Amino acid sequence: MATWTWFHRLASPPHVYGFARRWTPWIGGAAAVCMVVALYGGLVLAPEDYQQKDAFRMVYVHAPAAWLSLMIYTTMAVAAAVGLIWRMKVAHAAAAACAPVGAWFTVAALGTGMLWGKPMWGAYWVWDPRLTAELVLLFLYLGYMGLRAGIEDPNKADKASAMLAVVGVINVPIIKYSVEWWNSLHQTPTVMKMGKPSMDTAMLWPLLLMFVAFALYFAAVLLIRLRAELLRRERNASWVREVVT
Amino acid sequence: MSEFFSMSGYGIYLWPAFALGIGVVVLNLVMALSSLSTARKDARRRLEINP
Repeated sequence: MATWTWFHRLASPPHVYGFARRWTPWIGGAAAVCMVVALYGGLVLAPEDYQQKDAFRMVYVHAPAAWLSLMIYTTMAVAAAVGLIWRMKVAHAAAAACAPVGAWFTVAALGTGMLWGKPMWGAYWVWDPRLTAELVLLFLYLGYMGLRAGIEDPNKADKASAMLAVVGVINVPIIKYSVEWWNSLHQTPTVMKMGKPSMDTAMLWPLLLMFVAFALYFAAVLLIRLRAELLRRERNASWVREVVT
Repeated sequence: MSEFFSMSGYGIYLWPAFALGIGVVVLNLVMALSSLSTARKDARRRLEINP
């Protein structure tokens, strides 16, 4: 059953810790390079939009942040489900490591969205389906963290918070498709849709590169947080002694 | 240069948005690193390893 060895390794805290330590600098470095190039491409090289002028450049920070807030939640829910089904400690640790990062990117998505909404819609906030659902996402993250913080027994905290994470994942497709299901002020997808993106290549590549940068950045931060989680959980394991000395 | 910063008049919205985005990116990296450093210190104390 050689195919399953990766799964067993994934369940082994010392293996995951070592993997995280080796790979974080490379992934983080790649994220930084992509981010700088994408910023230059988006703010300097891309031409201005014929309708929104330079305001469209908001997309280079708003869309990646919003997309990451959903991707982190999905990662958290999958990790939580794996933890519940296979009782895998590493998976619960990964889910716990996702939450604060996801909450911050939800704040970034909401904040940058408000700053884009003011000049385009004339208001910082409207109770639009997508905006409201994204706000619910923030409360899900905060609820998840609050629940974990409120339960002292780590095993019980893992289980209860994992249930919340899994149930809450229903909000992800609601946010994604809100602009199509309901009559929304928010614009419909430009890039992540069936067929060709409705955006010129000169505008599109910095955005796609920024998505890559954010994904790599999240991977690096997740690996750092996962190491911290594993050290906290594996109280007396001999491998902990090895890695901290 | 001032044309670049004005961003056809949208600079007052655009730059705070980018500052927020970059701020969140930097903040999360710093928080993750500090959390790891605290966890390492706690583990050393627990295992009574002298620095």
